[in-house]
Amino acid sequence: MASIFKRGPARPQANITSMIDVVFLLIVFFVLVSQIVDLESVDMELPEPDHPAAALPEEEPRAVLNVLPGEDGDCDGYRLAGIDYPPTPEGLGSLRSALVGIYQQTPGIRVNLRADRATDYRWVSPVLQLVRQAAGLSGTGQDAARMNLVVQRGGES
Amino acid sequence: MSDRPSPSTSSRSQAVPPARRRSRDASSIGLNLTSMIDVVFLLLVYFMVATDFKKAEEVYILDLPDRVEGMSADPFELDEEPLRIMVRSTGVDGSSFRLAVDGPWDPVRDFDGLYDFLRARQVDGMGGGLFAVDHPIVIVPDASLHWEFAIDAFNAAVRAGYRNVTLQEISS
Repeated sequence: MASIFKRGPARPQANITSMIDVVFLLIVFFVLVSQIVDLESVDMELPEPDHPAAALPEEEPRAVLNVLPGEDGDCDGYRLAGIDYPPTPEGLGSLRSALVGIYQQTPGIRVNLRADRATDYRWVSPVLQLVRQAAGLSGTGQDAARMNLVVQRGGES
Repeated sequence: MSDRPSPSTSSRSQAVPPARRRSRDASSIGLNLTSMIDVVFLLLVYFMVATDFKKAEEVYILDLPDRVEGMSADPFELDEEPLRIMVRSTGVDGSSFRLAVDGPWDPVRDFDGLYDFLRARQVDGMGGGLFAVDHPIVIVPDASLHWEFAIDAFNAAVRAGYRNVTLQEISS
């Protein structure tokens, strides 16, 4: 008889199964998103033009080429597929070889060019030249280097 | 107060049937999930704080033809003289710009003015305008121009409806 009253009054309990489901889903989401973001993009301030006429990128093969921003409009190098290339003639030569390899592996690939808004054009221009040359040197019958100039959405529209 | 019947042990035990008592005992078996929920919430908070959401990115399509100077697919095709838009860097640290359109045109002051200029001179199908939508337009940025301003000029041309817009490379 006494054992009944050891437990006291009724203890209401919430069913936490669905909450655990949702929390695990959120964790998986955040883990995946944080990895995807880190793989391709370098932290920089992309241009944000007013009244932008840019479009969302299409789903097609692409390579992302980052112009690493330096001090006062300078450039610290270029990053393609996780590898850094210094902004020297030798570095640019290596970058061209890497681009030729990418074109041979995936003909018709688009090169997404990301550069900081404050980077001088003299550091971006060699990239345009390299991509054009690499498309021609790849021997895949590529008649034009297909590029995307990446900007940030959110300007006055 | 003392006359009020207090809930006595005997009266309660009589109210609960034996079958119900058994089922309550069986339902008390379970996992203690408290520590797991603690850890899971810690992980959730960590990833929420550590995740850096980027703003959505958009792109301008730029096709750079790999053609040799003076050669074209059709030997009888006349090369169209491209419209060149010069963007020069001004200011102490290149924080400003100056626009100039190559040709007998009035100067344009800013990128909205450039858009108006290009829009007003586009062939409209009514016999007016000078430049077709596929007329080549070349943006000629200064070496010390910020990339932002080169993109602004590019954007003005694309926004005006032109499809053949390129950036001139700096000859090395």
